[in-house]
Amino acid sequence: MEIFIQIVVSGLTLGAMYAVGTIGLSLVWGALRMLNMAHGVLIAIGGYFSYQAITHWGLPMPVALLVAMAAGAAMGALVYHCAARFMFRNEAFENNIFIVTFGLAIALENGILKVFGGYPLAQPFALQGGFRIMDVWVPWQNVLIVVVSVAVMTLMALFLAKTRGGRAIRATAQNRDAALLMGVPIGRVFAQVLAIAGLLAALSGVLLSSITTLSPQVGFDPMLKAFIICVIAGLGNVLGALYAAFMMGLFEAGVQFFLGVRYALPLMLLIVIAALIWRPYGVFGKRQVTRL
Amino acid sequence: MTGWRRDLAIGLAVLAALAAVPAFDVQRFWITTMTVLFIWATVVSQWNLVFGVAGIFSLAQMAIFAVGGYTTAMMGLYLDWSLWLALPVSGLLAVAFGSIVGLACLRLTGAYVALLTLAIAYILFLLIVTDTECIYYEGTVCRSLTEGWKGLGRYGDYGFRDWFGRDFHLGNYGLTLAILALATAFAFLIIRSPMGLAFRALRDNPGYAMSRGVSRFKYQLLVFVFSAFFTGLAGSAYAGVFRVIGPNVLQLSLLLFLLSMMVVGGLGRPWGPLIGATLLMLVDETLKEEFLADYRNIGLGLILAAVVVLLPQGIAGGIDNLARRLAIRRPDGPPRRKGPA
Repeated sequence: MEIFIQIVVSGLTLGAMYAVGTIGLSLVWGALRMLNMAHGVLIAIGGYFSYQAITHWGLPMPVALLVAMAAGAAMGALVYHCAARFMFRNEAFENNIFIVTFGLAIALENGILKVFGGYPLAQPFALQGGFRIMDVWVPWQNVLIVVVSVAVMTLMALFLAKTRGGRAIRATAQNRDAALLMGVPIGRVFAQVLAIAGLLAALSGVLLSSITTLSPQVGFDPMLKAFIICVIAGLGNVLGALYAAFMMGLFEAGVQFFLGVRYALPLMLLIVIAALIWRPYGVFGKRQVTRL
Repeated sequence: MTGWRRDLAIGLAVLAALAAVPAFDVQRFWITTMTVLFIWATVVSQWNLVFGVAGIFSLAQMAIFAVGGYTTAMMGLYLDWSLWLALPVSGLLAVAFGSIVGLACLRLTGAYVALLTLAIAYILFLLIVTDTECIYYEGTVCRSLTEGWKGLGRYGDYGFRDWFGRDFHLGNYGLTLAILALATAFAFLIIRSPMGLAFRALRDNPGYAMSRGVSRFKYQLLVFVFSAFFTGLAGSAYAGVFRVIGPNVLQLSLLLFLLSMMVVGGLGRPWGPLIGATLLMLVDETLKEEFLADYRNIGLGLILAAVVVLLPQGIAGGIDNLARRLAIRRPDGPPRRKGPA
């Protein structure tokens, strides 16, 4: 029973962090048909800005979180204005943007390395202490992670469902040409979506680095997991990504406990490959019929 | 076909020039740099077949390369095989690995393929780096199967030292040049063969091509598997030339470097990989030597991004466009061929 609770606690924590990062990626894919390889570096940027704000500027934790999120959003918008806006009309956009964001990611990652150095730092955005469920120790930090993630995702869902901006994003994701004809400024929508994804990535970076450490490569592993989760859910399926993120978090916690950390990602991948051969459009995705 | 003859002539001329280089008194540094260039150009020429020509966005090329390299190292180390014998075997094992990856990925399209292949390469990297289980002891030193971060070494070499003495690096130069020549010839054969026509048909009008019985899955799997052979050979040669192989060949910065070669040279252009590889090796050497060394990866990343945004067809594409424009302007020039070459 204690083992079970232990796995559920760490699984939910992992799942919450993955979900925040993944819905950003999924949103970007849904609206722009773009795989953002700079996502991992945005995660790192969030973590470093929170570190900088708390340690060097002496800001309180909630403000530092906002600073990090703003920095992530600004970087996301920058990706649009430096690269995507010149390319999204191009036919080979899907492949090209992947390469471009890959290049930007490596450049930014090495930029962080130059500024902060490669030595792992401790994320000061952390709560001390915790409580017990039966005999299992639950740190407040894990509770904070789940609460912040759920709150942000709820806000996100409300934004997408209830506001004009959210409706414009959904319309663009559904049919870009029709949205354009209805007067949706898709350039602005794209910039918005990338900024939102950057904001979510930065947030997940702060949360993630608070239970591990902060290094320039901190974002790569979660980015890859987020991609895997997206693939399972079907790229662009935001709600499916949410389910898949929590499933993967629980699965990973279980594998880590029973087999060791080393096998978590390889096993995840094996499942994905099996899932893709069974349903190439994602487990929660709908089959898409393309007209030639 | 004029394209054939032109390509053959250029290819033979380049090959002859490169083969003649050792006859001159060239510094060892440049011979070694060119040996590295040949290895990367081989990888890129095969990657270009998979990505540029067949349109499969695979990032598994370096994983296949690593399979070739590690196979060679392990055969030398654990089975005491000669590295010459390990060369073809590594190619074949790389083919086996490539087929598995291909079968898993090729039902998917575009971005999904890129993600899965990237994940596969990363997982191979993680498994090697975290490999600490001892399989045997050397004295009290624990040795694991892949030696984790340190990588494998001391599995011998090609024996060029016995043949050439001080000039053993010329042997490495010749071997890698031969592999590059074979790989490039193979790439040209694919591009100009019925299989190349099938790819062009699938690219230009997939509906019509498929309704005429051109199977996308079959052709893509074939090119994936064939190109894995030469990629594995390149990996094997890398292991033999440097006499050490480690997980660093799976690092993202190297993948990015090779991807830049392909993109800068021109995706899908037959001569793109050679042009791109040469150019980026030059850029890399300059960045390494000057005070810019710290900014090497930043520079490469920005170059890659800038080339895709500003010159999406690469340098080979730029040259083609220029040549076509000149041909139009000349009234008595050769008649333009119909359709893209």
